[in-house]
Amino acid sequence: MSPFSLAYLAAGIGAGLTIIGAGYGIGRLAASAMEGIARQPNAGGDIRLAMIIAAGLIEGATFFALIVTLLLAIMK
Amino acid sequence: MTGLLLMLAAGAHAAPGSEEKVEQDAAAVVIHHVADQPFLGLIWSRQLVFFLVAAAIVLLLVRLALRGYRNGIPKGLAAIVETLVVFVRDEIAEKSIGHDGRKFTPLLCSFFLFILVAALLGLVPFPIPSHGRWSLVGVTSTANIMVTAALAVVSLLAQQYAGISRNGLWGHIKGLVPPGLPIWLLPLMILIEILGIFTKPFALMVRLFANMIAGHMVITVLLLLIPMLANVSTAMGIGVIPVSLGLGLFIMLLELLVAFIQAYIFTMLSAIFIGMYAHPAH
Repeated sequence: MSPFSLAYLAAGIGAGLTIIGAGYGIGRLAASAMEGIARQPNAGGDIRLAMIIAAGLIEGATFFALIVTLLLAIMK
Repeated sequence: MTGLLLMLAAGAHAAPGSEEKVEQDAAAVVIHHVADQPFLGLIWSRQLVFFLVAAAIVLLLVRLALRGYRNGIPKGLAAIVETLVVFVRDEIAEKSIGHDGRKFTPLLCSFFLFILVAALLGLVPFPIPSHGRWSLVGVTSTANIMVTAALAVVSLLAQQYAGISRNGLWGHIKGLVPPGLPIWLLPLMILIEILGIFTKPFALMVRLFANMIAGHMVITVLLLLIPMLANVSTAMGIGVIPVSLGLGLFIMLLELLVAFIQAYIFTMLSAIFIGMYAHPAH
C-alpha cells in the first residue's frame, strides 16, 4: 500500500458521492419542471429557462467537488 | 482532447512496460492532453494562441456580418449573427436586467460569442506539431482557468458598475443588505454580502473552466482504454476499439451541446447578477 492509496480511495468515493448528489438534484429539478410543463404547457418556455439556470447552478457546485477529487487523484 | 494518432502513439511507447507503468502513465497522459503546452517553440502557449484565434474569429464574424445587410435586410451570415444577438438582447439582457438591459447587451454578446467560439474551436482537431511528431489536437482556450478568471473579473466589474452607476456609491453599498433586517444581524449580513460579491464570479469561473476541461478529459480516458486493454491482451484491445470510439463520439456530441449551454449560462448568470445589483430589493 503506497502512501497515496488513501488519497486515491477518497478520490474515487468522493467522485461517486458527488455524482449521486448531482444526479438526485438535477433529477428532482427535471421531474418538477416536467410536472409543471404538463400542468401548464403555456409556461413551458419560462419553466425550461429557469430549469436550465438551476441545473447550471447545481452543476457548478458539483464541479467544485469534482475538482477536489481530481486534485486528490492526480497530486503526487 | 487529442486525435487517435497521439493516443495510439502513447499506447505504443507504453506497450513494452509492465501494467503498472501504463497505469502511472494514464494520469500523466490525461493531464498532458488537457494542460497547456508550448506552441511551435513560441513564448506563446497553445491555449494563448487559440484564445487569440477565437477572439479574431469573433471580431471577423461580426465585421463580415455587418457587411451582409442589403437595405436593412440581413443575408446569410448576418442573419445567423443577428439571431444570436437578438436572442441575447431580448431573452437574456432585457429579461434579467430590465429596461436598461440594452446598455449591457454588447458586453453580454461578447461573452456569449467568445465562449461559444472558443468551445467550438476546441472540438475541431488541428494538426499541431508536438514532441517531434504531428498530432491532431483541439485546444479549448476556456479550459485554462486564467482565461475564465479574466472573463469572471470582467463580469465582476460589470456587476459593480451596474450597481454604482444606477444607485450611486452609497445606495449601492446600502442595497447590498436587504432592508428591514434586525440590527444585530447586520455585522453578519454585511460580511456575507461582501463575500457574495466575490463568490458569484468565482463560481462563474470554476463552472466554465470545469465544463470545458471535463469533456476533453473523458474523451481522453475513453481512448486511453484501448492501449490499456491492449496491454492485457491484443484481442481485448481490438474489442474495445468500437466501444471507445462510439462513447468518445457520444461525448463529443455532448460537448457540442455543452458549448451552447455554457455560453448561455455564463451570459445568463452574468445578466442576472448585473440585474441583482442594479435593482436591489427595496
